[in-house]
Amino acid sequence: MSAEAIEVEEVKELVAEPAEPLLSKRRKRIVQDPLNEDNPITVQVLGICSALAVTVKMQPTLVMSIAVVFVIVFSNLIISLLRNLIPNRVRIIVQLAIVASLVTLVSEVLKAYSYDMYKVLGAYVGLIITNCIVMGRLEAFAMGNKPYDSILDGLGSGFGYAWIILTVAFFRELFGSGSIFDFKIFEAIGWTSFPTNGLMVDSIGAFMILGILIWIQRTRNGYVEH
Amino acid sequence: MQQSNTYIIVFSAILTIVIGGLMSLTSVVLKPAQDKQVELDTKKKILGAVMDISEIEDPNEILAIYDQRISSTVVDIEGNEITQDDKGNALVAEKVNIQKNYKRSQEERFYPIFMFKNESGIVDAYIFPMFGAGLWDWISGYLAVDKDLNTIRGIAFDHKQETPGLGARITDEVVQNRYKGKKIFENGSLKSVTMVKGEGHSGLTDYQVDGMSGATMTAKGVNKMLEHYLACYTAYIDKVKSNNKLALN
Amino acid sequence: MDAINIAIKGIFIDNMVFAYFLGMCSFLAVSKKVTTAFGLGMAVIFVLTITVPANWLLQEFILKEGALSWLGASFETIDLTFLQFIIFIAVIAAMVQLVEMVIEKVSPSLYGSLGIFLPLIAVNCAILGSSLFMVQRDYTIVEATAYGFGSGTGFFLAIVALAAIREKLKYSSVPNGLKGLGLTMLITGLMGLAFKSFIGIAL
Repeated sequence: MSAEAIEVEEVKELVAEPAEPLLSKRRKRIVQDPLNEDNPITVQVLGICSALAVTVKMQPTLVMSIAVVFVIVFSNLIISLLRNLIPNRVRIIVQLAIVASLVTLVSEVLKAYSYDMYKVLGAYVGLIITNCIVMGRLEAFAMGNKPYDSILDGLGSGFGYAWIILTVAFFRELFGSGSIFDFKIFEAIGWTSFPTNGLMVDSIGAFMILGILIWIQRTRNGYVEH
Repeated sequence: MQQSNTYIIVFSAILTIVIGGLMSLTSVVLKPAQDKQVELDTKKKILGAVMDISEIEDPNEILAIYDQRISSTVVDIEGNEITQDDKGNALVAEKVNIQKNYKRSQEERFYPIFMFKNESGIVDAYIFPMFGAGLWDWISGYLAVDKDLNTIRGIAFDHKQETPGLGARITDEVVQNRYKGKKIFENGSLKSVTMVKGEGHSGLTDYQVDGMSGATMTAKGVNKMLEHYLACYTAYIDKVKSNNKLALN
Repeated sequence: MDAINIAIKGIFIDNMVFAYFLGMCSFLAVSKKVTTAFGLGMAVIFVLTITVPANWLLQEFILKEGALSWLGASFETIDLTFLQFIIFIAVIAAMVQLVEMVIEKVSPSLYGSLGIFLPLIAVNCAILGSSLFMVQRDYTIVEATAYGFGSGTGFFLAIVALAAIREKLKYSSVPNGLKGLGLTMLITGLMGLAFKSFIGIAL
């Protein structure tokens, strides 16, 4: 079947279907599920690699989160728009190419306008390419859904990822450096001799906090892995 | 559904052209801004070794101060000025990559040197870049020495990923200030300056600096870097000293 | 000598998993049984030892500023660094495919044990990460190869060790919410702590 034929069919389908409200119940679930019950990090076990390495401080983590949300949303959108054109046999490499271009864009913009952040994040921006969340969403959702839904799905997964790594970063910076966003919080309330915890600054602290976070969240949701 | 090979090839070709074009476009558009950031970053580090620039927020002001106050040269291990690189291109001190040069043998390296002039245009301090290995990854520094070429005016360290709160403290102002006023030559021969083990020492000599507790490995790296690079700069320093003496006579 | 040091450092001190969190997805997902972990680990070593030097050559002769000077003087100022990500990932994907085909032809038995893991590896962050770190650290080609091998071996060691622990854990009673991922994270943390003892060993 030629590509045009698919597109014609697609249009017909759109006309036939009654218009769905912009924020229908189904669409709300697309956004909300990844935030909690279907969280990419704590439940689906995706995208942990690039997530933890940058969480020593809040600020780089925030930049990283924004970058990841940007990449997920736009790659979802692009793949969803192209989904009927992409040849099935080369789809993985096409997805990788689009993600890699978006990541390059992020990295170039960072280098031009926030060189300090570019230096801190270093190779980790590049590693968004292999962030399994991005590839996972493309393969599982964007390849089979309409552009608008794909954007919502991207936003949901992106923010689900963001709030987890921001929480990890919050505890790591608070106990590891005694500050939040580089603001010395303990010194400000007069506790100058606050003993900073070296373990939190180290990668080990991230594993521990994430482990505990997963424990709390799964206990609350009643999710049990077998 | 399986598409034909022709379709796959055409699709890949179009995708490659579109992506390649878009990426080249971004790169070309952003290049000037990026180059300026890199330039600013280097110049900030150099200036940071001799003066406090943390208050200045406007990047253009920093660049203006730099152009006004700093002049530079590149020398080899014997202290002779070099103007061309291996391929015959003109050498610019600011563009010399210290990390790349660190990989070459001492004799083959290019050593950039920066001169800081006072308001009336007379050289007031010399800034020597250096590079070495810390505990985890590289560390680097810009050491500023007064015009007597002995007393340390200031130092600015940088590092890739020393442990935050321990080794990473070399970038703290408190730690860097400990170097101020220390000396590197004793009776005309190089002695370098050493960071001692542990913190809170008193009665340190002119060649010793109080250490950072819990970061002995980083301190070792710093000491090694200083000693190694100062030895490489000694020929140049001696040359400048004897020139200064001649000028006085 | 330097190359050997870099390899040893890659295995123990700069361990991909414990120090940089790279390759975590497959590290957590494929560490339930020692035999499968072993297969994945071997495949990672294999692919890393090939892709890191391959990407080194590309970086050195095509991508970095002035790298194209072998084409003629007019190419000297061209800087293709912005294509780095896309080229690296393409090389990795292509290499993985190639390795898969070669193994299938040469040794069907090895293919049987590695086969299913190879496609997984293309999106393993440890592979792309090693190539990007290799560029940042300015290695020579020998060092780059040693680094590729070392970080692959480091990953292998980590995943096999974790799988061994998880096999034993099957028989212990664990709070419901902590089962699986949560506990694995905590164990990884403790293993990382053990690996910290290699710090400071002078090489």
